[in-house]
Amino acid sequence: MEDRLREAVARSHADYTEARWEQATRSRVAFQRDQLMALESGEEAGGIVRCLVKGAWGIAVFTDPADLPRKVEEATHLARTASGHVADPVALAPAQVVEARHEGQMKRDFRGVPLDEKRRLAEAYNKLVLAHSPQIASSSVRYTDSWRRTIYANSEGTYVEQGIPDVTLMIAAVARKNGDIQQAFESLGYAAGFDRVQGKEEEARKAAQRAVDLLSAKPVQGGTYTVVLDPDLAGVFIHEAFGHICEADFLLKNEPMRRVMQLGTPFGVESLNVVDDGYRAGERGNTPYDDEGVPWQRAHLIKNGVLTGLMHSRATAHKMNAVPTGNARAVSWEHDPIVRMRNTYIEPGTATLDEMLQGIERGLYACAAFGGQTEFEQFTFSAAYGHEIVDGVIGPMVRDVVLTGNVFHTLQNIERIGNDFKLEGSSGGCGKGGQWPLPTTTGAPHVRVRNVTVGGR
Amino acid sequence: MNLVDRATRKAESAELYEELREGISVSFNGGEIETAGSEAVRGRALRVVSGGKLGFASTAGGSDEALLESALVAASHGDPAPFPFTGRNGATQPVPVLDPTVAQIGVDTLIGWGEEAIQQIRDEFPELIVNASLSRGTAAVGVRTSAGAACEERRSYLSMSVSAEQIRKGDIWSVYASAAVRRAEDLDRDHLVGDLLRQLRWGREIVAAPTGTPPVLFLPTGVPVLLLPLMVGFSGMSVFLGTSPLKGRLGETAFDPRLSITDDGVIPYGPRSRSFDDEGVPTDRLPLVTAGVIQNFYYDLRAASLTKTRSTGNGMKGSPLGGGGFRVPPGPASRNIVVSPGAGSVDEMVRDLKSGLVVAGVLGLGQGNVQSGAFSNNVGTGFAVKDGKVVGRVKNTMIAGNAYDVLKDGIQAIGGQAEWVFGGLALPPILAEKVSVVTQ
Repeated sequence: MEDRLREAVARSHADYTEARWEQATRSRVAFQRDQLMALESGEEAGGIVRCLVKGAWGIAVFTDPADLPRKVEEATHLARTASGHVADPVALAPAQVVEARHEGQMKRDFRGVPLDEKRRLAEAYNKLVLAHSPQIASSSVRYTDSWRRTIYANSEGTYVEQGIPDVTLMIAAVARKNGDIQQAFESLGYAAGFDRVQGKEEEARKAAQRAVDLLSAKPVQGGTYTVVLDPDLAGVFIHEAFGHICEADFLLKNEPMRRVMQLGTPFGVESLNVVDDGYRAGERGNTPYDDEGVPWQRAHLIKNGVLTGLMHSRATAHKMNAVPTGNARAVSWEHDPIVRMRNTYIEPGTATLDEMLQGIERGLYACAAFGGQTEFEQFTFSAAYGHEIVDGVIGPMVRDVVLTGNVFHTLQNIERIGNDFKLEGSSGGCGKGGQWPLPTTTGAPHVRVRNVTVGGR
Repeated sequence: MNLVDRATRKAESAELYEELREGISVSFNGGEIETAGSEAVRGRALRVVSGGKLGFASTAGGSDEALLESALVAASHGDPAPFPFTGRNGATQPVPVLDPTVAQIGVDTLIGWGEEAIQQIRDEFPELIVNASLSRGTAAVGVRTSAGAACEERRSYLSMSVSAEQIRKGDIWSVYASAAVRRAEDLDRDHLVGDLLRQLRWGREIVAAPTGTPPVLFLPTGVPVLLLPLMVGFSGMSVFLGTSPLKGRLGETAFDPRLSITDDGVIPYGPRSRSFDDEGVPTDRLPLVTAGVIQNFYYDLRAASLTKTRSTGNGMKGSPLGGGGFRVPPGPASRNIVVSPGAGSVDEMVRDLKSGLVVAGVLGLGQGNVQSGAFSNNVGTGFAVKDGKVVGRVKNTMIAGNAYDVLKDGIQAIGGQAEWVFGGLALPPILAEKVSVVTQ
């Protein structure tokens, strides 16, 4: 396939051509309560061609490798058709021509682990959850792994072959008392081997106990609070609320938004530092080379409270006179690369948790994330659970904690940044532009924010 | 020899799902075309029962041998198959789901439609950033089993979405409208743009949201906040697992008597209509709620077998809210969810409100404890009403409540005009109380 790819892009008549062929080997085990809902392993392959003609993109997605030369023509034709309608042509920032091969490291390669052993691992966690308490009504345990092998060539001469491992574990518990149903989960994901999801019995017990505890937790009272976010939730916060607006593709043809996101603008308190890192050993967001063949860089988004960088593809880097950061990622061969996050985190500060709680008369300690969504400056994310804070002390558990706000105000409202730190890939993934679930990692210390709106009755 | 026959040499029974998706799409960025694309994707999934145990595997671009081998390996470590594959179907009436003219819509036409919509919005709101995406295509889907099922169907699709963003320092907001149809003539582009323009006009001013528990008018695009918990609760698998609050309550009046909900797989050219589900079971109309009374749950083969009932033809790869494709095994999911309309237009419903909140869309749909019915969402697109008039849009506002409570005791009125949203939900506006609203 390497030769076919190199030849196809070299022969193209488009201004720029790239082709990517992927083979993904996957397995998946899923239990719900006492049912084995999924047990599978398999392999799939497919490709995508992307051509630039006079400032417009054409793409063609296919599954039959013999179609490759025809798909280059098709993508060229589509790009040419679109280019007739373009007033503000797309162009690419220069990128170093690379010839590279990279394989992610695994201590215990999951491709060599029998499907049966994967099943037994998931089954054991599932049994722990179900046996934890009579109030546990159901459970859901899911193990997945995938080895994504991509080969990439472009018409500038870049050629990259990569093997990226991905392993995830999700353990969820559902507790029921009378009509009330509560759920809790633990979710892990790594660019690593099978060993990383072994020995997680404690996580299974934690999920089960939390689901039971939530049955007696009160729904949070809606209002405005000073909130201490735990590292899990603070990580999701920085991803959702701030990370997405630093993805330069949505600034590409958006002059007013480019003015809002001008580098050098103060965005937060001086102690705030935010990074999107393309490579940290074993982390799920790792992108050694992105899907434009650009090697990873660390993007410093906020330094000492000031906006210092954005995440770029080659097209956005050209538009904004920046350097491509290696953030052009595609979730699979069915999609073209768009600007995405990798391992995104708030750097640790100096405060201890006790110091952060001091002086809060009535606040919330919001922990772990169900998920989040952002729409420009508006963001929302839901905590898996929370605790009241009364006079600086963490009090009883509360549930249904959903926070919302305006990112620009909220970053200014950060009061303290903890001296701890946790970087975590979940078993889910990030969604954008129909591409989901993309493996990403989020991280943070504890973070205290004032004046956060919390929904509730 | 075909794969099902080959599989049955090594296994007791087999089921092959195949799909071939062919189509084109265009996407606009900042008011002009950025990308035109095509796809031709063939995906397959094979389930086998071997040694009495069930195995599943899927592939794109892979060989018959590899697919069969993967499915057999899965079966060797699997559990006993809780159900048999679908047999020869009775005579079913094919549902019209293919408009051959859709495949003739060219890239130029899609680009033209996108440009036209963008122009219409810019004519009135020149300062906005407008984006759009359109796609069309055909999916050929087939399900064959060794028990004799052999279904094939070509389904067309055509979709369009447009968003408009207003960006000012300290105030950024956006609105969105979309449509997904099977038949070219059902794509009402003027209506789509009209919907967007109405939101933009309503939102010219920023106003304070009414707080406490004001009446909340959910537009069709906002109603999924209330419906999503039900889509989980009516799943036969949730019922089997005991995670549905509706379990054991068939025949009970669990909702307002004005509420009727049908899961309909056979609406001609309905966005999720089909003659057979992804397990080869014929589809049909399934009343879920009639006049407030719980009528049925929906089942795929597995959930049906576990609860000792019959599949309702709801074995689907993916729900209206996404997911799916050939990679995932089927599970119980809705086809077209239709909520019976009541009376009155949106304008009339607004006119009758002294003070209230209109919810056109939320952020964070589905986050939180969906099974319990609890919702708590940021009002992504919402408007305040005073003395029968929309006075402006709201910001930093959250709604919260429990969908089961609201749909039982909180419905004030159901509007007269249902609209297709999220490609598979036909929903009228619902005016509700028992929703709490907080704001910063």
